[in-house]
Amino acid sequence: MKRATTIGVSLLFFAACAATAPKELLNARTAYNQASAGPAADANPAGLHSAKESLDAAEDSFSKHGATQETNDIAYVAGRRAQIAEANAREVQAIQRKEQQIAQASAAQGEQLQQTSADLERAKTQLGATHQQLADERQRREEAERQAAAALAAFATVKQEPRGMVITLSGSVLFASNKAELLPSARVKLNEVADALTKQDPKAKIIVEGNTDSQGSAPYNQELSRRRAESVRNYIVSRGFSADRIQARGNGLTNPIADNKSPEGRANNRRVEIVVQPVGAAQ
Amino acid sequence: MKRAIIAMAGIATACAATYPVPVQRMADAQSARRSAVELGANNLPDAQLYLKLSEEEIAKANVLLKENENRRADFMLIRAKADGELAVAIARAKKSEAEEKQSLDQQKLRAKTIPFQGAR
Repeated sequence: MKRATTIGVSLLFFAACAATAPKELLNARTAYNQASAGPAADANPAGLHSAKESLDAAEDSFSKHGATQETNDIAYVAGRRAQIAEANAREVQAIQRKEQQIAQASAAQGEQLQQTSADLERAKTQLGATHQQLADERQRREEAERQAAAALAAFATVKQEPRGMVITLSGSVLFASNKAELLPSARVKLNEVADALTKQDPKAKIIVEGNTDSQGSAPYNQELSRRRAESVRNYIVSRGFSADRIQARGNGLTNPIADNKSPEGRANNRRVEIVVQPVGAAQ
Repeated sequence: MKRAIIAMAGIATACAATYPVPVQRMADAQSARRSAVELGANNLPDAQLYLKLSEEEIAKANVLLKENENRRADFMLIRAKADGELAVAIARAKKSEAEEKQSLDQQKLRAKTIPFQGAR
């Protein structure tokens, strides 16, 4: 009976102790459980271990001495150790995430830099090829112009004037007297002119101007010069030159280049001028 | 009985008198408090509470030391040091988290302003 009483009293004592665990110890247990379930387990295991040792010391003190002031203080510190372990883990994780972000950004920038360098290299290559094409094209055009000028020189004069390059063809080479139809021999010569013009700058515009001497009435000469210019224009278009880039007009006797008193002067004034206007020149 | 009580009181006084003044503990607690202040714990609500507790515990410990309660003062300073260290840990975590967010924001901004991105 006495033994049973002793056991009962002991059980009651332990039950009382368990029930009266100080709030510091309860808080410490909660804090440790929270910390061990959080990031500290991975990010700060040493800190968590230290917190566990503190909690064990508090539990030991409580089991040996009960809820004394010292037990409370030890438990209080154990709770703080657990909270510190958790806060340190959060710090470590934030630092790790930041480093990871920086590494990823750096890798992305490196990749982008490589891509940009490759793009730049491609652009350089393309630019080089374009320059070469332009140089080749310029060379071909210069050669064509040189050949055309040489061919034209045999039956025409070519001059560079402010209004453009002017190819002057003698009227007697192209037309019979008082006629506006091209002579057969003129067609052969105009073929070379047309070919030379076709090889010119594809954006250049051309004006064919008919001119006469002062013999006959001005209206008659005006009409004759217009029809002659039209004949030349139509022939050049028939050779493949774009019709919307070539115009014809008659100047009649208004633009003499020599004295109309002499036969030679009048022969020089009877002419057709083909004006190749520079690109962008006003009409 | 009276003699016994006097004897016990004498022993208690002797114990209090023989417990050393916790000079190092006081220095540690104050050091932790100062670190927390330097890290801006005063301006962080989460850390502010523990900094305040630490300061109050240091003040209590000073009172206990004046009353020659060295042992109680020592344990109060242990609490003060733990609270100061927790304020430091929270302040450091907050600082690192703020830096992480700032870094992320900067990278997002950079990604938006780089002209070549998405233009290939």
